[in-house]
Amino acid sequence: MIAEFLSYGFVQRGLAAGSLVAAACALLGVFLVLKRLSLIGDGMSHVCLTGVAAALLLSANPVYVSVPVVAAASLGIMKITQKFKIYGDAAIGIVSAAGLSIGLLITALAGGFNTDLLGYLFGSILTVSKDEAVLCGMLLAAVLAGLFFFYRDLTSACFDEPFARTRGIAVQTVNTVLVIITSVAVVLAFKVVGIFLISSLLIIPPVAALLISRTFKQVLWLAAAFGVASVWAGVYLSFVFNIPSGATIILVNLCVLALSYGWSKMGGLRNGR
Amino acid sequence: MPGIIEAQELNFAYVRVPVLEHISFTVNAGDYVGIIGPNGGGKTTLLKLLLGLEKGKGQIKLFGRPLNEFKDWRKIGYLAQKSPVSQSRFPVSAEEVVLMGLSDRHGSGVSVSELKQVHEAMQKTRTREYAGRIFHDLSIGQQQRVLLARALVSRPELLILDEPSTALDPESREMFFNLLGDLNAKQGVTILLITHDTGEVGKYISKFMYIDKTLVFYGTKEEFCHSAAVAEKLGAFAQHTIDHLHNHGHCPLGCSCGGEHK
Repeated sequence: MIAEFLSYGFVQRGLAAGSLVAAACALLGVFLVLKRLSLIGDGMSHVCLTGVAAALLLSANPVYVSVPVVAAASLGIMKITQKFKIYGDAAIGIVSAAGLSIGLLITALAGGFNTDLLGYLFGSILTVSKDEAVLCGMLLAAVLAGLFFFYRDLTSACFDEPFARTRGIAVQTVNTVLVIITSVAVVLAFKVVGIFLISSLLIIPPVAALLISRTFKQVLWLAAAFGVASVWAGVYLSFVFNIPSGATIILVNLCVLALSYGWSKMGGLRNGR
Repeated sequence: MPGIIEAQELNFAYVRVPVLEHISFTVNAGDYVGIIGPNGGGKTTLLKLLLGLEKGKGQIKLFGRPLNEFKDWRKIGYLAQKSPVSQSRFPVSAEEVVLMGLSDRHGSGVSVSELKQVHEAMQKTRTREYAGRIFHDLSIGQQQRVLLARALVSRPELLILDEPSTALDPESREMFFNLLGDLNAKQGVTILLITHDTGEVGKYISKFMYIDKTLVFYGTKEEFCHSAAVAEKLGAFAQHTIDHLHNHGHCPLGCSCGGEHK
Protein backbone atom coordinates (compact mmCIF):
# COMPACT_ATOMS: atom_id res chain seq x y z
CA MET A 1 0.00 0.00 0.00
CA ILE A 2 2.77 2.44 0.95
CA ALA A 3 4.77 1.58 -2.17
CA GLU A 4 1.72 2.21 -4.33
CA PHE A 5 1.08 5.49 -2.49
CA LEU A 6 4.62 6.68 -3.10
CA SER A 7 4.70 5.61 -6.73
CA TYR A 8 2.44 8.45 -7.91
CA GLY A 9 4.25 11.53 -9.19
CA PHE A 10 1.66 13.92 -7.78
CA VAL A 11 2.02 12.29 -4.35
CA GLN A 12 5.81 12.65 -4.48
CA ARG A 13 5.50 16.33 -5.46
CA GLY A 14 2.87 16.95 -2.81
CA LEU A 15 4.91 15.28 -0.09
CA ALA A 16 8.08 17.12 -1.10
CA ALA A 17 6.39 20.52 -1.23
CA GLY A 18 4.37 19.80 1.91
CA SER A 19 7.44 18.70 3.86
CA LEU A 20 9.46 21.74 2.78
CA VAL A 21 6.76 24.24 3.58
CA ALA A 22 5.78 22.52 6.85
CA ALA A 23 9.41 22.58 8.04
CA ALA A 24 9.75 26.26 7.07
CA CYS A 25 6.46 27.16 8.79
CA ALA A 26 7.43 25.27 11.95
CA LEU A 27 10.84 26.99 12.18
CA LEU A 28 9.32 30.43 11.60
CA GLY A 29 6.47 29.57 13.94
CA VAL A 30 8.87 29.01 16.86
CA PHE A 31 9.87 32.69 16.71
CA LEU A 32 6.30 33.90 16.13
CA VAL A 33 4.95 31.89 19.07
CA LEU A 34 7.69 33.15 21.39
CA LYS A 35 7.17 36.73 20.21
CA ARG A 36 3.43 36.33 20.88
CA LEU A 37 2.67 36.81 17.22
CA SER A 38 1.19 33.34 16.73
CA LEU A 39 -1.96 34.69 15.19
CA ILE A 40 -0.15 36.67 12.52
CA GLY A 41 -0.45 33.54 10.35
CA ASP A 42 -4.20 33.62 10.83
CA GLY A 43 -4.33 37.28 9.84
CA MET A 44 -2.12 36.66 6.82
CA SER A 45 -4.24 33.70 5.73
CA HIS A 46 -7.32 35.91 5.66
CA VAL A 47 -5.41 38.41 3.56
CA CYS A 48 -4.49 35.48 1.30
CA LEU A 49 -8.14 35.36 0.33
CA THR A 50 -7.78 38.85 -1.14
CA GLY A 51 -4.69 37.76 -3.08
CA VAL A 52 -6.32 34.58 -4.38
CA ALA A 53 -9.54 36.35 -5.32
CA ALA A 54 -7.61 39.11 -7.12
CA ALA A 55 -5.50 36.50 -8.94
CA LEU A 56 -8.56 34.55 -10.06
CA LEU A 57 -10.15 37.79 -11.22
CA LEU A 58 -7.02 38.67 -13.22
CA SER A 59 -6.47 35.06 -14.35
CA ALA A 60 -3.01 35.20 -12.77
CA ASN A 61 -1.13 32.69 -10.60
CA PRO A 62 -2.54 33.09 -7.06
CA VAL A 63 0.88 32.45 -5.49
CA TYR A 64 2.56 35.33 -7.32
CA VAL A 65 -0.29 37.76 -6.61
CA SER A 66 -0.72 36.74 -2.99
CA VAL A 67 2.94 37.07 -1.92
CA PRO A 68 3.14 40.89 -2.29
CA VAL A 69 -0.40 41.36 -0.96
CA VAL A 70 0.26 39.29 2.17
CA ALA A 71 3.73 40.80 2.68
CA ALA A 72 2.25 44.31 2.52
CA ALA A 73 -0.45 43.30 5.00
CA SER A 74 2.07 41.83 7.44
CA LEU A 75 4.12 45.03 7.30
CA GLY A 76 0.84 46.87 7.89
CA ILE A 77 0.30 44.82 11.05
CA MET A 78 3.73 45.85 12.33
CA LYS A 79 3.14 49.50 11.42
CA ILE A 80 -0.23 49.62 13.16
CA THR A 81 1.27 48.04 16.29
CA GLN A 82 4.01 50.68 16.42
CA LYS A 83 1.99 53.67 15.30
CA PHE A 84 -1.00 53.21 17.59
CA LYS A 85 1.01 51.56 20.41
CA ILE A 86 -1.42 48.65 20.59
CA TYR A 87 -0.77 44.95 21.05
CA GLY A 88 -0.10 42.81 17.98
CA ASP A 89 -3.30 40.78 18.36
CA ALA A 90 -5.45 43.89 17.86
CA ALA A 91 -3.45 44.91 14.78
CA ILE A 92 -3.76 41.36 13.41
CA GLY A 93 -7.53 41.52 13.98
CA ILE A 94 -7.80 44.80 12.06
CA VAL A 95 -5.74 43.63 9.05
CA SER A 96 -7.39 40.21 9.10
CA ALA A 97 -10.86 41.75 8.93
CA ALA A 98 -9.76 44.03 6.11
CA GLY A 99 -8.24 41.12 4.16
CA LEU A 100 -11.27 38.91 4.54
CA SER A 101 -13.80 41.59 3.64
CA ILE A 102 -11.88 42.79 0.58
CA GLY A 103 -11.45 39.17 -0.58
CA LEU A 104 -15.14 38.44 -0.18
CA LEU A 105 -16.03 41.68 -1.94
CA ILE A 106 -13.86 40.83 -4.95
CA THR A 107 -15.36 37.33 -5.03
CA ALA A 108 -18.89 38.68 -4.92
CA LEU A 109 -18.27 41.36 -7.52
CA ALA A 110 -16.47 39.00 -9.92
CA GLY A 111 -18.68 35.96 -9.45
CA GLY A 112 -18.11 32.70 -11.26
CA PHE A 113 -14.99 31.43 -9.54
CA ASN A 114 -16.46 30.17 -6.29
CA THR A 115 -15.53 26.58 -7.10
CA ASP A 116 -11.86 27.50 -7.73
CA LEU A 117 -11.82 29.48 -4.52
CA LEU A 118 -13.03 26.48 -2.52
CA GLY A 119 -9.90 24.58 -3.58
CA TYR A 120 -7.74 27.31 -2.03
CA LEU A 121 -9.84 27.57 1.10
CA PHE A 122 -9.44 23.88 1.94
CA GLY A 123 -6.11 23.10 0.26
CA SER A 124 -5.14 20.60 -2.41
CA ILE A 125 -1.64 19.34 -1.69
CA LEU A 126 -1.78 16.78 -4.49
CA THR A 127 -2.17 19.50 -7.13
CA VAL A 128 1.12 21.22 -6.25
CA SER A 129 3.08 21.99 -9.42
CA LYS A 130 6.80 21.43 -9.93
CA ASP A 131 7.45 25.20 -9.87
CA GLU A 132 5.59 25.52 -6.58
CA ALA A 133 7.62 22.65 -5.09
CA VAL A 134 10.82 24.45 -6.16
CA LEU A 135 9.54 27.64 -4.51
CA CYS A 136 8.92 25.68 -1.30
CA GLY A 137 12.53 24.44 -1.46
CA MET A 138 13.80 27.99 -1.90
CA LEU A 139 11.70 29.12 1.05
CA LEU A 140 13.14 26.48 3.38
CA ALA A 141 16.67 27.26 2.14
CA ALA A 142 16.11 30.95 2.98
CA VAL A 143 14.79 30.10 6.44
CA LEU A 144 17.71 27.76 7.19
CA ALA A 145 20.24 30.32 5.92
CA GLY A 146 18.65 33.00 8.11
CA LEU A 147 18.83 30.71 11.12
CA PHE A 148 22.43 29.77 10.43
CA PHE A 149 23.74 33.29 9.93
CA PHE A 150 21.55 35.19 12.40
CA TYR A 151 20.79 32.60 15.07
CA ARG A 152 21.99 34.76 17.96
CA ASP A 153 20.31 37.92 16.73
CA LEU A 154 17.03 36.05 16.32
CA THR A 155 17.09 34.34 19.72
CA SER A 156 18.20 37.50 21.51
CA ALA A 157 15.54 39.65 19.82
CA CYS A 158 12.95 37.02 20.61
CA PHE A 159 13.99 36.54 24.24
CA ASP A 160 14.31 40.19 25.24
CA GLU A 161 13.74 42.75 22.51
CA PRO A 162 14.70 45.95 24.38
CA PHE A 163 17.94 44.39 25.59
CA ALA A 164 18.72 43.14 22.08
CA ARG A 165 18.37 46.73 20.87
CA THR A 166 20.95 47.84 23.44
CA ARG A 167 23.35 45.29 21.92
CA GLY A 168 23.06 47.08 18.58
CA ILE A 169 20.95 44.31 17.04
CA ALA A 170 18.72 45.71 14.30
CA VAL A 171 15.56 44.33 15.89
CA GLN A 172 13.29 46.21 13.50
CA THR A 173 15.04 44.63 10.51
CA VAL A 174 14.92 41.20 12.14
CA ASN A 175 11.17 41.56 12.69
CA THR A 176 10.56 42.84 9.17
CA VAL A 177 12.49 39.99 7.55
CA LEU A 178 10.71 37.49 9.82
CA VAL A 179 7.22 38.64 8.82
CA ILE A 180 8.09 38.92 5.11
CA ILE A 181 9.46 35.36 5.01
CA THR A 182 6.41 34.24 6.99
CA SER A 183 4.21 35.88 4.35
CA VAL A 184 5.86 33.78 1.64
CA ALA A 185 5.49 30.66 3.79
CA VAL A 186 1.81 31.38 4.38
CA VAL A 187 1.13 31.83 0.68
CA LEU A 188 2.94 28.62 -0.25
CA ALA A 189 1.19 26.77 2.59
CA PHE A 190 -2.32 27.51 1.33
CA LYS A 191 -1.85 24.86 -1.35
CA VAL A 192 -0.90 22.34 1.33
CA VAL A 193 -3.57 22.81 4.00
CA GLY A 194 -5.80 25.56 2.65
CA ILE A 195 -6.29 29.16 3.68
CA PHE A 196 -8.41 28.20 6.70
CA LEU A 197 -5.75 26.00 8.29
CA ILE A 198 -2.45 27.73 7.42
CA SER A 199 -1.90 29.18 10.87
CA SER A 200 -2.02 25.67 12.36
CA LEU A 201 1.25 24.81 10.58
CA LEU A 202 2.83 27.89 12.16
CA ILE A 203 1.53 27.30 15.68
CA ILE A 204 0.97 23.62 16.53
CA PRO A 205 4.41 22.07 15.77
CA PRO A 206 6.31 24.84 17.66
CA VAL A 207 4.02 24.58 20.68
CA ALA A 208 4.36 20.77 20.71
CA ALA A 209 8.16 21.14 20.55
CA LEU A 210 8.26 23.86 23.21
CA LEU A 211 6.36 21.62 25.61
CA ILE A 212 9.06 18.96 25.73
CA SER A 213 12.35 20.58 24.72
CA ARG A 214 15.26 21.37 26.96
CA THR A 215 17.20 23.64 24.60
CA PHE A 216 16.24 26.17 21.98
CA LYS A 217 17.94 24.19 19.23
CA GLN A 218 15.88 21.14 20.22
CA VAL A 219 12.74 23.27 19.84
CA LEU A 220 13.71 24.24 16.31
CA TRP A 221 14.55 20.76 15.07
CA LEU A 222 11.66 19.04 16.83
CA ALA A 223 9.17 21.59 15.52
CA ALA A 224 10.41 21.03 11.97
CA ALA A 225 10.30 17.25 12.46
CA PHE A 226 6.75 17.37 13.85
CA GLY A 227 5.62 19.53 10.91
CA VAL A 228 7.13 17.19 8.31
CA ALA A 229 5.89 14.02 10.04
CA SER A 230 2.37 15.44 10.20
CA VAL A 231 2.37 16.14 6.46
CA TRP A 232 3.51 12.60 5.63
CA ALA A 233 1.10 10.91 8.02
CA GLY A 234 -1.74 13.26 7.06
CA VAL A 235 -1.32 12.76 3.31
CA TYR A 236 -1.02 8.98 3.72
CA LEU A 237 -4.14 8.75 5.91
CA SER A 238 -6.11 10.96 3.52
CA PHE A 239 -5.02 8.65 0.66
CA VAL A 240 -6.03 5.50 2.54
CA PHE A 241 -9.36 6.75 3.88
CA ASN A 242 -10.16 9.12 1.01
CA ILE A 243 -10.57 12.15 3.28
CA PRO A 244 -9.40 15.79 2.82
CA SER A 245 -5.60 16.00 3.17
CA GLY A 246 -5.38 19.52 4.69
CA ALA A 247 -7.71 18.77 7.58
CA THR A 248 -6.04 15.37 8.15
CA ILE A 249 -2.59 16.98 8.37
CA ILE A 250 -3.82 19.37 11.03
CA LEU A 251 -5.57 16.60 13.00
CA VAL A 252 -2.33 14.59 12.98
CA ASN A 253 -0.57 17.75 14.23
CA LEU A 254 -3.07 17.98 17.06
CA CYS A 255 -2.40 14.32 17.98
CA VAL A 256 1.33 15.13 18.11
CA LEU A 257 0.54 18.10 20.36
CA ALA A 258 -1.52 15.87 22.68
CA LEU A 259 1.31 13.32 22.86
CA SER A 260 3.83 16.09 23.57
CA TYR A 261 1.64 17.41 26.33
CA GLY A 262 1.45 13.93 27.84
CA TRP A 263 5.22 13.56 27.59
CA SER A 264 5.79 17.02 29.06
CA LYS A 265 3.83 15.92 32.13
CA MET A 266 6.44 13.19 32.54
CA GLY A 267 9.27 15.72 32.18
CA GLY A 268 9.85 15.55 28.41
CA LEU A 269 13.44 15.96 27.27
CA ARG A 270 14.01 18.08 30.38
CA ASN A 271 14.41 14.85 32.34
CA GLY A 272 17.86 14.52 30.88
CA ARG A 273 19.17 17.31 33.09
CA MET B 1 37.30 65.61 28.09
CA PRO B 2 33.70 64.83 27.09
CA GLY B 3 31.41 63.12 29.56
CA ILE B 4 30.39 59.48 29.23
CA ILE B 5 26.79 60.69 28.92
CA GLU B 6 25.87 64.17 27.76
CA ALA B 7 22.17 65.00 27.71
CA GLN B 8 20.91 68.36 26.50
CA GLU B 9 17.36 69.67 26.66
CA LEU B 10 15.68 66.26 26.71
CA ASN B 11 11.92 66.33 26.39
CA PHE B 12 9.57 63.40 26.13
CA ALA B 13 5.78 63.06 26.06
CA TYR B 14 3.39 60.12 25.88
CA VAL B 15 0.48 61.13 23.66
CA ARG B 16 1.05 64.84 24.37
CA VAL B 17 1.31 64.29 28.15
CA PRO B 18 4.75 65.55 29.16
CA VAL B 19 6.83 62.96 31.00
CA LEU B 20 10.22 64.67 30.96
CA GLU B 21 10.96 68.32 30.35
CA HIS B 22 14.19 70.29 29.87
CA ILE B 23 16.57 67.65 31.21
CA SER B 24 20.26 68.46 30.79
CA PHE B 25 23.18 66.82 32.58
CA THR B 26 26.60 65.25 32.11
CA VAL B 27 27.82 62.01 33.64
CA ASN B 28 31.61 61.78 33.80
CA ALA B 29 33.81 58.71 33.68
CA GLY B 30 33.91 57.01 37.07
CA ASP B 31 30.73 58.62 38.38
CA TYR B 32 28.33 56.46 40.38
CA VAL B 33 24.99 58.21 40.04
CA GLY B 34 21.91 57.22 42.04
CA ILE B 35 18.71 58.34 40.32
CA ILE B 36 15.84 58.88 42.70
CA GLY B 37 12.41 60.44 42.50
CA PRO B 38 8.74 59.64 42.94
CA ASN B 39 6.96 56.89 41.01
CA GLY B 40 5.89 58.13 37.60
CA GLY B 41 8.51 60.87 37.75
CA GLY B 42 10.15 59.74 34.49
CA LYS B 43 13.25 57.94 35.80
CA THR B 44 12.81 54.80 33.68
CA THR B 45 11.84 56.86 30.66
CA LEU B 46 15.06 58.85 31.06
CA LEU B 47 17.15 55.66 30.96
CA LYS B 48 15.23 54.42 27.93
CA LEU B 49 15.91 57.72 26.15
CA LEU B 50 19.61 57.40 26.92
CA LEU B 51 19.64 53.90 25.43
CA GLY B 52 17.59 54.82 22.37
CA LEU B 53 14.69 52.60 23.47
CA GLU B 54 12.38 55.63 23.39
CA LYS B 55 12.62 58.56 21.05
CA GLY B 56 12.24 62.05 22.45
CA LYS B 57 13.48 65.53 21.69
CA GLY B 58 16.90 66.86 22.60
CA GLN B 59 20.48 65.72 22.21
CA ILE B 60 22.17 62.69 23.72
CA LYS B 61 25.82 61.79 23.36
CA LEU B 62 27.30 58.51 24.58
CA PHE B 63 31.09 58.38 24.88
CA GLY B 64 31.26 61.62 22.89
CA ARG B 65 29.20 60.37 19.96
CA PRO B 66 25.60 61.33 19.13
CA LEU B 67 23.24 58.50 20.08
CA ASN B 68 22.23 57.78 16.46
CA GLU B 69 25.89 57.34 15.51
CA PHE B 70 26.87 55.33 18.55
CA LYS B 71 27.73 51.73 17.64
CA ASP B 72 29.99 50.44 20.37
CA TRP B 73 27.26 48.90 22.53
CA ARG B 74 29.75 46.55 24.24
CA LYS B 75 30.74 49.56 26.32
CA ILE B 76 27.29 49.66 27.90
CA GLY B 77 25.64 47.12 30.18
CA TYR B 78 21.90 47.42 30.80
CA LEU B 79 19.58 45.81 33.30
CA ALA B 80 15.90 46.71 33.05
CA GLN B 81 13.44 47.27 35.89
CA LYS B 82 11.18 44.47 34.79
CA SER B 83 12.50 41.65 32.74
CA PRO B 84 10.39 41.52 29.59
CA VAL B 85 11.28 37.86 29.50
CA SER B 86 7.96 36.37 30.42
CA GLN B 87 7.47 33.44 28.09
CA SER B 88 7.32 30.46 30.38
CA ARG B 89 8.43 28.03 27.71
CA PHE B 90 11.56 29.71 26.33
CA PRO B 91 14.10 26.94 26.84
CA VAL B 92 17.40 28.77 27.14
CA SER B 93 19.92 28.07 29.85
CA ALA B 94 21.23 30.72 32.23
CA GLU B 95 24.57 30.50 30.42
CA GLU B 96 22.92 31.13 27.04
CA VAL B 97 21.13 34.16 28.47
CA VAL B 98 24.45 35.62 29.64
CA LEU B 99 25.92 34.96 26.19
CA MET B 100 23.22 37.21 24.72
CA GLY B 101 25.14 40.11 26.24
CA LEU B 102 27.82 39.56 23.61
CA SER B 103 26.69 40.50 20.13
CA ASP B 104 29.86 40.55 18.05
CA ARG B 105 28.92 37.28 16.38
CA HIS B 106 25.58 36.62 14.71
CA GLY B 107 25.59 32.88 13.98
CA SER B 108 25.17 30.02 16.42
CA GLY B 109 28.88 29.36 17.12
CA VAL B 110 30.52 30.36 20.41
CA SER B 111 34.23 31.15 20.69
CA VAL B 112 36.49 30.14 23.57
CA SER B 113 37.05 33.77 24.54
CA GLU B 114 33.29 34.37 24.65
CA LEU B 115 32.83 31.37 26.94
CA LYS B 116 35.59 32.71 29.16
CA GLN B 117 33.83 36.06 29.42
CA VAL B 118 30.52 34.35 30.20
CA HIS B 119 32.10 32.27 32.98
CA GLU B 120 33.83 35.35 34.38
CA ALA B 121 30.54 37.31 34.54
CA MET B 122 28.75 34.34 36.12
CA GLN B 123 31.54 33.98 38.65
CA LYS B 124 31.20 37.63 39.64
CA THR B 125 27.46 37.35 40.11
CA ARG B 126 27.66 33.91 41.76
CA THR B 127 25.47 32.29 39.15
CA ARG B 128 27.83 29.60 37.82
CA GLU B 129 26.24 26.90 39.94
CA TYR B 130 23.08 27.10 37.83
CA ALA B 131 24.68 27.96 34.48
CA GLY B 132 23.12 24.93 32.77
CA ARG B 133 19.63 25.28 34.19
CA ILE B 134 16.76 26.64 32.15
CA PHE B 135 16.38 30.35 32.87
CA HIS B 136 12.67 30.13 33.60
CA ASP B 137 13.16 27.37 36.14
CA LEU B 138 15.17 29.80 38.30
CA SER B 139 13.68 31.97 41.05
CA ILE B 140 13.08 35.64 40.26
CA GLY B 141 16.10 36.62 42.36
CA GLN B 142 18.33 34.09 40.57
CA GLN B 143 17.03 35.31 37.21
CA GLN B 144 17.90 38.87 38.19
CA ARG B 145 21.46 37.82 39.01
CA VAL B 146 21.75 36.06 35.66
CA LEU B 147 20.51 39.21 33.93
CA LEU B 148 23.11 41.21 35.85
CA ALA B 149 25.75 38.77 34.54
CA ARG B 150 24.38 39.42 31.04
CA ALA B 151 24.82 43.17 31.63
CA LEU B 152 28.41 42.64 32.81
CA VAL B 153 29.57 40.05 30.27
CA SER B 154 30.82 42.54 27.68
CA ARG B 155 32.99 44.17 30.38
CA PRO B 156 31.15 47.48 29.98
CA GLU B 157 32.53 50.89 30.86
CA LEU B 158 29.04 52.18 31.65
CA LEU B 159 26.34 50.30 33.56
CA ILE B 160 22.74 51.48 33.34
CA LEU B 161 20.55 49.76 35.92
CA ASP B 162 16.86 50.30 36.58
CA GLU B 163 15.89 49.26 40.13
CA PRO B 164 17.97 46.12 39.85
CA SER B 165 17.71 44.99 43.46
CA THR B 166 13.92 44.87 43.78
CA ALA B 167 13.62 41.07 43.50
CA LEU B 168 16.72 40.23 45.54
CA ASP B 169 16.85 38.87 49.07
CA PRO B 170 18.91 40.89 51.60
CA GLU B 171 22.03 38.73 51.19
CA SER B 172 21.90 38.93 47.38
CA ARG B 173 21.23 42.66 47.59
CA GLU B 174 24.34 43.19 49.67
CA MET B 175 26.40 41.07 47.28
CA PHE B 176 24.93 43.03 44.41
CA PHE B 177 25.74 46.49 45.78
CA ASN B 178 29.19 45.36 46.91
CA LEU B 179 29.87 44.11 43.39
CA LEU B 180 28.72 47.40 41.85
CA GLY B 181 30.82 49.32 44.39
CA ASP B 182 33.89 47.26 43.48
CA LEU B 183 33.32 47.70 39.76
CA ASN B 184 33.10 51.44 40.24
CA ALA B 185 35.96 51.84 42.73
CA LYS B 186 38.46 49.32 41.34
CA GLN B 187 37.68 49.18 37.63
CA GLY B 188 36.35 52.71 37.15
CA VAL B 189 33.04 51.53 35.70
CA THR B 190 30.59 54.42 35.46
CA ILE B 191 27.22 53.53 36.96
CA LEU B 192 23.79 55.06 36.51
CA LEU B 193 21.34 53.42 38.87
CA ILE B 194 17.67 54.00 39.59
CA THR B 195 17.06 52.96 43.16
CA HIS B 196 14.80 53.28 46.13
CA ASP B 197 17.45 51.62 48.28
CA THR B 198 19.03 54.99 49.01
CA GLY B 199 20.31 53.78 52.35
CA GLU B 200 22.12 50.73 51.02
CA VAL B 201 23.52 52.27 47.89
CA GLY B 202 24.35 55.56 49.59
CA LYS B 203 27.76 54.48 50.80
CA TYR B 204 28.92 53.81 47.24
CA ILE B 205 27.41 56.50 45.06
CA SER B 206 29.12 59.76 44.29
CA LYS B 207 26.14 61.72 42.97
CA PHE B 208 22.39 61.91 43.32
CA MET B 209 20.03 62.81 40.52
CA TYR B 210 16.46 63.63 41.48
CA ILE B 211 13.96 63.37 38.65
CA ASP B 212 10.36 64.46 38.87
CA LYS B 213 9.45 65.30 35.27
CA THR B 214 12.29 67.80 35.40
CA LEU B 215 15.80 67.52 36.76
CA VAL B 216 15.16 68.82 40.26
CA PHE B 217 18.58 68.07 41.70
CA TYR B 218 21.90 66.76 40.40
CA GLY B 219 24.97 66.93 42.55
CA THR B 220 27.21 65.15 45.02
CA LYS B 221 25.73 63.19 47.89
CA GLU B 222 27.26 65.68 50.33
CA GLU B 223 25.38 68.53 48.65
CA PHE B 224 22.24 66.43 48.70
CA CYS B 225 22.66 65.36 52.31
CA HIS B 226 23.77 68.62 53.90
CA SER B 227 21.78 71.18 52.07
CA ALA B 228 18.70 72.25 54.00
CA ALA B 229 17.78 74.32 50.99
CA VAL B 230 17.76 71.18 48.85
CA ALA B 231 15.54 69.36 51.32
CA GLU B 232 13.19 72.29 51.36
CA LYS B 233 13.20 72.53 47.60
CA LEU B 234 12.56 68.86 47.09
CA GLY B 235 9.76 68.69 49.61
CA ALA B 236 8.30 65.68 51.40
CA PHE B 237 9.90 62.99 49.25
CA ALA B 238 13.41 64.27 49.82
CA GLN B 239 12.79 64.68 53.52
CA HIS B 240 11.61 61.09 53.60
CA THR B 241 14.76 60.04 51.73
CA ILE B 242 17.04 61.91 54.08
CA ASP B 243 15.18 60.51 57.08
CA HIS B 244 15.66 57.06 55.62
CA LEU B 245 19.36 57.69 55.16
CA HIS B 246 19.71 58.52 58.82
CA ASN B 247 17.39 56.02 60.38
CA HIS B 248 20.24 54.08 61.96
CA GLY B 249 21.79 57.10 63.67
CA HIS B 250 24.57 57.50 61.13
CA CYS B 251 24.80 58.83 57.66
CA PRO B 252 24.96 55.92 55.25
CA LEU B 253 25.83 58.30 52.47
CA GLY B 254 29.31 58.28 53.91
CA CYS B 255 29.49 61.96 54.74
CA SER B 256 30.90 63.03 58.08
CA CYS B 257 27.71 64.35 59.64
CA GLY B 258 27.19 61.32 61.88
CA GLY B 259 23.53 61.67 61.26
CA GLU B 260 23.33 64.97 63.16
CA HIS B 261 21.82 67.00 60.40
CA LYS B 262 18.70 64.83 60.30
